[in-house]
Amino acid sequence: MANYAEMQQIFDDIRSDFRYDHELNGCLNCGVCTATCPSAHFYDYSPREIVQLLWTENVEQIYDAMQEKIWACAQCMTCAARCPFKNSPGGLVAIMREVAIARGLQSAKDVLRPFGRVMLKLITTGNQLSPDMIQPDHFPDWGPNIQKVEGDLKVLRKAIPVKTLQTVDTAWEVSLKTSVEMYTIWEMTGVLKSLEMMDENLFDVIEDFIDEKKEDYEDWLEEQDED
Amino acid sequence: MQGDASDTVLVVGAGPAGLSAAASIAAAGFRPVVVEKEDVLGGAPILSGYAKLVPSGEWAKDAIGRMVARVEQDASTTVFKGTKVTGFEGEPGDFTATLSNGEHVKAGAAILATGFTHFDSINKPEWGFGTYEDVLTTTQMEQMVAGGKIFCPSDGRVPERVAILLCVGSRDRQIGREWCSKICCTVSTNLAMEIKELSPTTDVFIYYMDIRTFGLYEDKFYWKSQEEFKTKFVKARIAEVTTSGDGRLLVKGEDTLVKRPIVIPFDIVVHAIGMDPNEDNPEISKVFGVGLEKHGFIDRAEFYTSTCGTTRRGVFAAGSCYAPETIDDSISQGHAAAARAIAELHALARKKAG
Ligand SMILES: Cc1cc2nc3c(=O)[nH]c(=O)nc-3n(C[C@H](O)[C@H](O)[C@H](O)COP(=O)(O)OP(=O)(O)OC[C@H]3O[C@@H](n4cnc5c(N)ncnc54)[C@H](O)[C@@H]3O)c2cc1C
Ligand code: SF4
Ligand code: SF4
Ligand code: SF4
Repeated sequence: MANYAEMQQIFDDIRSDFRYDHELNGCLNCGVCTATCPSAHFYDYSPREIVQLLWTENVEQIYDAMQEKIWACAQCMTCAARCPFKNSPGGLVAIMREVAIARGLQSAKDVLRPFGRVMLKLITTGNQLSPDMIQPDHFPDWGPNIQKVEGDLKVLRKAIPVKTLQTVDTAWEVSLKTSVEMYTIWEMTGVLKSLEMMDENLFDVIEDFIDEKKEDYEDWLEEQDED
Repeated sequence: MQGDASDTVLVVGAGPAGLSAAASIAAAGFRPVVVEKEDVLGGAPILSGYAKLVPSGEWAKDAIGRMVARVEQDASTTVFKGTKVTGFEGEPGDFTATLSNGEHVKAGAAILATGFTHFDSINKPEWGFGTYEDVLTTTQMEQMVAGGKIFCPSDGRVPERVAILLCVGSRDRQIGREWCSKICCTVSTNLAMEIKELSPTTDVFIYYMDIRTFGLYEDKFYWKSQEEFKTKFVKARIAEVTTSGDGRLLVKGEDTLVKRPIVIPFDIVVHAIGMDPNEDNPEISKVFGVGLEKHGFIDRAEFYTSTCGTTRRGVFAAGSCYAPETIDDSISQGHAAAARAIAELHALARKKAG
C-alpha cells in the first residue's frame, strides 16, 4: 500500500502524459461509455468511474483502480467512439497502465505474469500466435472447423501458396534483418525497459535471445561484405 | 411595390417571435409586412401540433391561435404565406426586399424571426428512431397526446412502460451539437404528466444527465411530475435501443448509481429532440448579410446596448433563431425587436437632416 505522497506522484505521472488533455475534456457523467463497454458487462469495471476519478483527482481511488480494475479494459475504444464529450476512457486506461508498469506496481506484475509465454513469442518472433500453439480444445469459439488443424501441421502449412507462411512455429517467416529492426524498435520505445520492470527473468531470457540474433545478423553482414 | 420605408417593418417568419413582433409594430401605429415560408402561421407549436404548452398549460392551438388571429385580423398588417425573401438591399431606414413571388417590399428595418429546425433523430441511429415503430420523438408524442389516446404505434396496445430519453440531438459532440436545447427537460416532464393523465396504467421513466427545469419550472414541472404523477427519473444517458424477441424495446444504459450496465424493456421510447439552427440559416445569412455564430444560429450584436441586433445595422432578430429558446422568451424578444425596429424607421431621415 502506497502512502498519499506516492499516490499523488502516480497521479502526477498520469496527468503529465502528453496525451492526457487530449483524452479527457471533462465528463457529462452520462454513462454511455459504461453502457457500451464490453468489459463492463463481465467485470466490476466502469469506464465512467475511471474518467470521474481522474477528472475529480481522487488520487486514492485512482491508485485503487490501478490495482485491478484498469486491467479489465479490452482496449477496444468503443467508449471513445461513443462519448458525447469526445473523451477516450480507453486511452486514459492505456496511460494508467503504462504508469503502473513504469512504476513497477506489484499488481501490474501479478496481472501480467500469465502473459509471459505470449510476450516471449511476440518479442522474439514478432508473432503473437503461431500454428503450433493452437490446440483445438482451447478454441471452442472457432467451431468444428478447428479440427482441421489436428492433421499434420507441416503438410497443411505447405499447402499455403505463400512461401513465408509455410511455417509452423511462427505465423509467418520473419527475416533476420526485420527481426533486428523490430528489436531496435522494442528497445527504443521502452518496451524492453517495461518488460525488465515487470518480469526480470523473462527479460533476461529475451535479452539473451536478442543478443544472439544480433550477432547472427552482424556475422551475416560480414559474410555479405566478404563476397 | 409594397410598403413605405418610413413606416414599414419587414418581419420574416411567423412563429411566436414573429407574431409578437408584428403585433407590437401594428400596435405602435406602424405597418408590419410578414413573410412566412409555410402556408400557415404560428411556427413550430402549430406546424408540429404541440399539445399543452409549458408553462401555461393551454393548448398550443388556442394560445398560439390567438396570436395568429391578432395578426391576421389587423388591417395595417400585410401577410405573405408560402413566401421567402430572396433579396435584401439598401441601408437602415431604406431597405428593399425582393420576395419569391416577385413582389418588392420597401421597409425601414427588418426583423428575422425565422426560428429553429427540430433535430432529426435519424442522425442518432443507435437510438432506434426510424428502425422501430415504437420509438417516437417528443413532437410525435405531443401529437399523440393531442389526439387523446396513448398507444404503441406497432400494434395499438396500451404501453406499460414509456421511456423518455433527454438530450437527443443536444449536448453531444459526436454529432456536432454542443448546446443545451433549454426547453426539452421541462417539455418532457410535462409530457410525462400528460401521458399518465391519459393512460393511468402507464409508467413513465425519464433518463437524464442533468435536469434543467430552470426558474419557476422546478416545482411546477420537475417536482409535480414526481409527487403527483409518479414519474421516475433515472440518471443515465442511454447508449442504444434494440428490440427483444417479443417485440418489446430494449434500452441499454449505465445505472450510474451502481456503475453497472443495464438493459431494460420498454413499450415506447420517446426522444426528447433538441433545437437545431434553422436549416435555412446559410441562405438567410447570405440574403440578409447577417453573420452566424459558431453553432450556426444567427449571431447577436453586442447585447447590452444593442439588444436584438444582428451583425447588420437595421436588421434585428428575435426568438429561437438566436439560440434554443422558449415560447415566452421568444415572444418577449419579438416585442423588444419591434421597439428597436421602430426606432430605426427614421434612421435615413435623421441621417439626411444631419
Ligand atoms: C418538442 C418541443 C416542444 C416544445 N414545447 C414548448 C412549450 O411547451 N413551451 C415553450 O415555451 N416552448 C416550447 N418549445 C420551444 C418552442 O418551439 C420555441 O420556443 C418556439 O417555437 C420559438 O418560436 P420562434 O418564433 O422563435 O420560432 P419558430 O416557432 O420556429 O417559428 C419560425 C417561423 O419562421 C418560419 N421560417 C423559417 N425560415 C424561414 C424563411 N427562410 N423564410 C420565411 N419564413 C421562415 C417558419 O416556417 C416558422 O413559421 C418546444 C420545442 C420542442 C422542440
Ligand atoms: S476501450 Fe476499454 S473502457 Fe473503452 S469500451 Fe473498450 S473495454 Fe471498455
Ligand atoms: S461517455 Fe464520456 S461524458 Fe459520458 S460518462 Fe463516459 S466519459 Fe463521461
Ligand atoms: S433542456 Fe434538458 S433535455 Fe434539453 S438539452 Fe438541456 S439538459 Fe438536455
